[in-house]
Amino acid sequence: MAATRRSETKTITVFMDGTRLTAREGQTILDVAREHGIRIPTLCYHEKLKPIGSCRLCIVEVEGSATPVAACTTAVSDGMMVRTHTPELVELRRETLKLIFLKHPMNCPACEINGNCQLQDLAHEYDINHLDLHTYNIRPVEPEPEPYATPLIQYHPRRCILCGRCVQACVEITEVGAINFKGRGALTRIAPVERMGAIKPQCVSCGECMAICPVNALTEALGKKRGKAWETRKVKTTCTYCGCGCQLELNAVGDTVTGVTPTEGGVNRGALCSKGRFGYDFINHPDRLKTPLIRENGTWREANWDEALALVAERLADIRSESGADAIGALASARCTNEENYLFQKFVRGVLGTNNVDHCARL
Amino acid sequence: MAWMPSGPPWVPRRARQTPNRRTGEETLADIVFGIWDGQTVHPGKDALWTPKLTPLQDVAEYEPGNPIQAIMGWDGFFVFDPSVDLVDMARAYMEVVQRESCGKCVPCRMGTRVAVDLLTRIADGKGSEEDLHTLRRVACLVRDASMCELGHTGMNGVLYLLEHYEGVFRESIVQGVRHPRRSYHTKVTAPCIEACPERLDIPAYIDTIRSGRYTDSLSIIQEKNPLASVCGRVCVRFCEFACRRGMLDDPVNIKHLKRFVSDVELEAAVKKQAKQVSLSPDAKRVAIIGAGPAGITAAYHLLRKGHRVEIFEAMDEPGGMATYGIPDYRLPRQVLRNEAQVVLEMGGRIHYNQRLGQDFTLKDLRDRGFEAIFLAVGCWVGMRLGIPGEELEPKGYYVGVDFLRHVNRRDPLDMGTKVVVVGGGNVAMDCSRSSLRMGANEVHLVYRRTKAEMPADKVEIHEAEEEGVHFHFLTNPTRLLVEDGRVVGLECIRMELGEPDSSGRRRPVPVEGSEFVIECDMVLPAIGQKMDVRCLGDPPVLKLTRWNTVEVNPDTLQTSMECVFAGGDCVSGPATLIEAMAAGFRVSHSIDQYLRHGRVELTEEERMSRVLRAVSAVDEDMVDRLARGVQRIQIPTRSVQERVDDFEEVEMGLTPEDALLEADRCLRCYRILLVATAK
Ligand code: SF4
Ligand code: SF4
Ligand code: SF4
Ligand code: FES
Repeated sequence: MAATRRSETKTITVFMDGTRLTAREGQTILDVAREHGIRIPTLCYHEKLKPIGSCRLCIVEVEGSATPVAACTTAVSDGMMVRTHTPELVELRRETLKLIFLKHPMNCPACEINGNCQLQDLAHEYDINHLDLHTYNIRPVEPEPEPYATPLIQYHPRRCILCGRCVQACVEITEVGAINFKGRGALTRIAPVERMGAIKPQCVSCGECMAICPVNALTEALGKKRGKAWETRKVKTTCTYCGCGCQLELNAVGDTVTGVTPTEGGVNRGALCSKGRFGYDFINHPDRLKTPLIRENGTWREANWDEALALVAERLADIRSESGADAIGALASARCTNEENYLFQKFVRGVLGTNNVDHCARL
Repeated sequence: MAWMPSGPPWVPRRARQTPNRRTGEETLADIVFGIWDGQTVHPGKDALWTPKLTPLQDVAEYEPGNPIQAIMGWDGFFVFDPSVDLVDMARAYMEVVQRESCGKCVPCRMGTRVAVDLLTRIADGKGSEEDLHTLRRVACLVRDASMCELGHTGMNGVLYLLEHYEGVFRESIVQGVRHPRRSYHTKVTAPCIEACPERLDIPAYIDTIRSGRYTDSLSIIQEKNPLASVCGRVCVRFCEFACRRGMLDDPVNIKHLKRFVSDVELEAAVKKQAKQVSLSPDAKRVAIIGAGPAGITAAYHLLRKGHRVEIFEAMDEPGGMATYGIPDYRLPRQVLRNEAQVVLEMGGRIHYNQRLGQDFTLKDLRDRGFEAIFLAVGCWVGMRLGIPGEELEPKGYYVGVDFLRHVNRRDPLDMGTKVVVVGGGNVAMDCSRSSLRMGANEVHLVYRRTKAEMPADKVEIHEAEEEGVHFHFLTNPTRLLVEDGRVVGLECIRMELGEPDSSGRRRPVPVEGSEFVIECDMVLPAIGQKMDVRCLGDPPVLKLTRWNTVEVNPDTLQTSMECVFAGGDCVSGPATLIEAMAAGFRVSHSIDQYLRHGRVELTEEERMSRVLRAVSAVDEDMVDRLARGVQRIQIPTRSVQERVDDFEEVEMGLTPEDALLEADRCLRCYRILLVATAK
């Protein structure tokens, strides 16, 4: 966090809404408020990112400052007097929310994250309804005709509230910097960065931007519906694509996996790569193999595991006694765990007696 | 148009005077009403305002024959001519704000759009009473809740208009007539931009650093400044002295941010700039005399404008004073060489060892088919002390600039062990610190005023002190002591401060009988430089000023010879790198206009800057809100022990993390100025 860098453990006193609080030098007003359970509304702020300061919903009044300041970007100082919920602030926040809804469509029922949306919560908290917006009655803001998209990610300019989280995530988490604000004023949007000089930042489709978007303005491009928040079951698991062991949550509606969301903690600290994030559609795919198949006379037939294993064991033994162990080669999958791969090579070397063992290395 | 201001003091328009002839009190009649910083301004209001308004009166004519009708800005407005259409002006102003809004925060991005739409509706005669109400509310939101200063200030003009001229808006609503659209002169700027002689878009390049886009950032700098990494090291930072963050804690470290992006992105960017040029076969030919900062900047911009450029340089390396006057520990030679390269990559040519007046004359250049000439020969003759002993030219006596040139060219030097440097400017600092690095055991600096008056950069003074230079303030040399053709000492006299002189600084006067001798074997006067006018022939082919600099039209830099322009130190006397570069930039416009149209005039940017300066004179600027970000980042330097024996750079650059934090401190003090003129 930007403001904490010069932090020492020096403690200072801050008064928030009349309560005396202890804070550490270098904390922001928002840090202190959260630590003490004082709720300040936020939208662009995200724990994983440096404070952005774009949504202006966290504004608070500070004695000595002529206008409100953003709690997420302002550092505390000793003796600071902060007010977080005056009628004026509430009014300014309402106005700000209304401005957001001038572009962001109020058709929550059609949105996949309905019920799991910070913006929706704030609209509810500040009692914004579509009748409010009529006072503005302005020309609609027309987004550009062909919004940004990659093969995996789709951008919805109307929904986008330009909080800037995605831009920041791409820089700070993925360290790519593939997207940025483009245009000016109401026509501002998120767009890929154009080539500059010798450098062209290339999107790696990791989807960090998508995962961090508070309003579902970046979605998976393949058009899958994600299921509503209240009917979705989340199952914490380990990604099976490689040996890193990234933690993730499979989202499921009934028995259908509808998406992958990051979970905090684990070696990946919430980040995922494009395979872990997007590569889940095989699970419910109709062509997916669910039982072993045995080829007989050029066609495949379904078998059970006992039958299949017995057949493999028999054939391996035959081949070894006919042609020697080196006539056998073994290939394991990167999607097995380290332990499984270890056992596999042990089996090939120790039991079959050959060193012809390899691994597909990557998927 | 019939309208009356709804707010307080309305003073009827007096008979207009013909522009140009404005003197004293009378001229104030030209401002019929204004409000700035919450204070109303109208003729005869109070004597306090009168002097502040004089600059505004002076620019009352935007260009010859085109008077200003009204000015609208970041903290108010001025009306000169009551027939101006305020409703349409407010609409136009708001359109600029919306166009400039970076779109990153909600209130400014959407709020200014709402304001534009409402004002357009009102100006179209289709507005309603409620629109006025909404407009006010939204304007207050944008002012109070926006992220940067553009939003904080963009609404003030409209809010004041609503307060004092609400009647005009109301009338438009009631009558329902469409106001004809007018066009206006507008300018988007910031205090740091205006302070920079070259007017670099500082907040923009800082903002792009903040979002991690270094190449974009460098491109913004290179729009105007081809020597970004040189400026990033040795610029005197006019911008930082104007930086508004300084009112809160310390200014943004603009210089080091520039150095940071240019260091990380240099190679890519030089190539990119080079690719942008294409010279047409019938391009006009321009000769530039002197490959210093002014010459290189002019060449760069002229090439970009499609002219064929050849530079004639007296030395065997580019850079002029930046190469030979600034030691390597501040500006490594290679940095300048790299950046000067851009002129060649763009297709310009540099002829070395070509000295004006010796190898060629201005007339020769004309004869060789150059249609315009830019004279940027600098000030290379160091001033002497004018004390007895100098005339003997003893060993160990070098004029400061000559000494630095010897050091920088690695030419043989009669180096002493105990050195006295005379002067208080940056050249004196460079001489002192270079002497230490050349092996002097002791370096003394003699300056006739006090430390507070030293013109040298504070950082330089501090670093010189750290390195052990002995300062003798209020001391002036009176005699050079020479034995066997070698300097053996410098006799000095103590001074005390008397009455203030024309520069406002108290004049030092000698204290009778206080002479004393500093023993030394080397004396380096660094008390100023002048131009070597002999290069212009005898009598000089160009008109000179009484200070023996080239006389030019201050706006266009044209000399007494129509096709010859001049700029940099040879016009201004010894000044700064960035001022020389600004002259080069300015001259590129003049020469371009001259080659295309045969005449030279002010650019729109310069006209608006004139108005802006006048408005700023009224502006009492302050920062009254808390800002984001940390304290100014301290720049790491090499330790004294490490650095005094070599010429490697003293200051290290910012790390990427620190650059981000430093960039985050910028308040983005963008402000918008709109001028309505009669035509
Ligand atoms: S796409 Fe999402 S994360 Fe990115 S700016 Fe828009 S709302 Fe914010
Ligand atoms: S998918 Fe990853 S690399 Fe691509 S824009 Fe999003 S965060 Fe950046
Ligand atoms: S804070 Fe930024 S925009 Fe404001 S004067 Fe300083 S550098 Fe310029
Ligand atoms: S959360 Fe602070 S401005 Fe958005």
